[in-house]
Amino acid sequence: MSEPTDFEEFLKRVVTIVFWILLIVPIIVLPLLFFGSEILQALQLLVNANSIFILINKAQNPFLAFELMDSLGQGPCIATATYQPSAGCNPTFFRIVIFPGFTFVALLTLWLGWFERKLAAKVHMRYGPLYAGRISGVLQPIADILKLLGKELIIPAKADKPFFIAVPLLTMGISAALLTLIPLSERVYVVPPASASLGLLVLFAVLGFYPIIILMGAWASSNKFSFIGGLRALHQLVSYEIPWFLAVLGVVVLTSSLDPFQIVRAQSKIWFIVPQFIAAFVFLTATLAELERIPFDLPEADTEIVFGWLTEYGGMFWGILFGLSPFIKLYVFSGLFTILFLGGWLGPAFLPPEIWFILKTFVVITVIMFSRVFNPRIRIDLLIRVGWVYLILLAVINLFIAVGLKAFGVL
Amino acid sequence: MQVAGLKTPMGEEFVLIFYAAVFGVAAGVPVLIIPKIIALKKPSVAKLATFEAGQVPTGESRVRLMMQYYAYLLMFVVFDVISMFLFAWAVAFAGLGLSSALVIAGFLAIILIAMGYALYLAGKRELW
Repeated sequence: MSEPTDFEEFLKRVVTIVFWILLIVPIIVLPLLFFGSEILQALQLLVNANSIFILINKAQNPFLAFELMDSLGQGPCIATATYQPSAGCNPTFFRIVIFPGFTFVALLTLWLGWFERKLAAKVHMRYGPLYAGRISGVLQPIADILKLLGKELIIPAKADKPFFIAVPLLTMGISAALLTLIPLSERVYVVPPASASLGLLVLFAVLGFYPIIILMGAWASSNKFSFIGGLRALHQLVSYEIPWFLAVLGVVVLTSSLDPFQIVRAQSKIWFIVPQFIAAFVFLTATLAELERIPFDLPEADTEIVFGWLTEYGGMFWGILFGLSPFIKLYVFSGLFTILFLGGWLGPAFLPPEIWFILKTFVVITVIMFSRVFNPRIRIDLLIRVGWVYLILLAVINLFIAVGLKAFGVL
Repeated sequence: MQVAGLKTPMGEEFVLIFYAAVFGVAAGVPVLIIPKIIALKKPSVAKLATFEAGQVPTGESRVRLMMQYYAYLLMFVVFDVISMFLFAWAVAFAGLGLSSALVIAGFLAIILIAMGYALYLAGKRELW
């Protein structure tokens, strides 16, 4: 038996693809043949002159465009004679999967990756992505994804296979779960205002899974660099979690609520970044550490420990763990900063609230990205000291400022 | 006394978050299956070996490391729970008045003194 040649491999792949097509097509084509008339009827009802007119009208008006996005989630209910969502419609699935949830943010983060590379390149006086897409390489992320999809998934012989594969999947799960707790406005949300009363606590609880998953990946990789990186990540995430909580505490004292909706409503007079500027600083610093970004990128320090806990992950594993999940986390933390300190979706009425929220979040993301461009990496003992001593002291001082403001009725 | 933030029962919230997490895991599966189908597979001993900066891997991968910062992990276990107690107070503070702040100030003083001593011991590396 000789080694299979490239041609044989190619034939094998073509046969596999044909097999999958033969398997999947009947599942889609046969129902179309059998139920074609019913589906056509439903489509005719949807593609009615009247409904098209409503859709175009809504899409042109930025205020109604978001309503339109939300109404799409009501799916079959829209196709009734009245074009009004009825009581039985449940947009939850659409909200989790598409609009304020996963797909929307995944597309946003795809573009954020390009933006970060371009921003760093401009500051470093380089070109950055240039060729994919006519305008300064905007299509580079798509080219990257296509490249990653064609790469072999390598699982090291010594690794614990089930845990090694579980880590990217669980990371995706936690990213999607975090997104449910960041509302875009009073009308675009996943967790409804009525049941969001403990929103922040639940967010902390979900975030608590990250160190566990990172350590799991590090241990399953069975690699010295991975394990050192995983331990570093554990120390870092743990050290900055307490200052992060204490920074949020000041805002909770001022609003008497853990509900993101109430916290934003309480900022109609003044954004909390003004009375709570110490908390904002502590929160932003701790956020940089929780996101493992430069100057706190010790878990992935590529000049010291190859790529930290991600060393053995390649191909699409890497795409999920380094391309998608950190950017979703970045969006979540920036969105939380916007909700807590920058007044969320509040703003002058010439733009819809959702646009205000995205704009403010984008400003925070840019600030966080700028810290990467010109900072060195700090030492681990200094990192832990800063987290445990200075940030906690600042956060406690800030807590008493908040208590004073609340008790003497200033805010 | 009615505390504003804590009046609704929560179950729905958890269920939604659980759905979202399940969806996230499910969305990850095809992303890993597509490369499995279309990518060329040519495994070799060198490719499947543990990465050690280009050298032939030696010894066990799961080494025992000196945990010189272990004390901070222990501190986290204690102080993380305590910081959660503070949230319960912070939500109720508007109804409790300034006297509760004095109690919490005493509580924080005790914690910070304990934390300072723990940090002093954690800084002595020869102990760990």
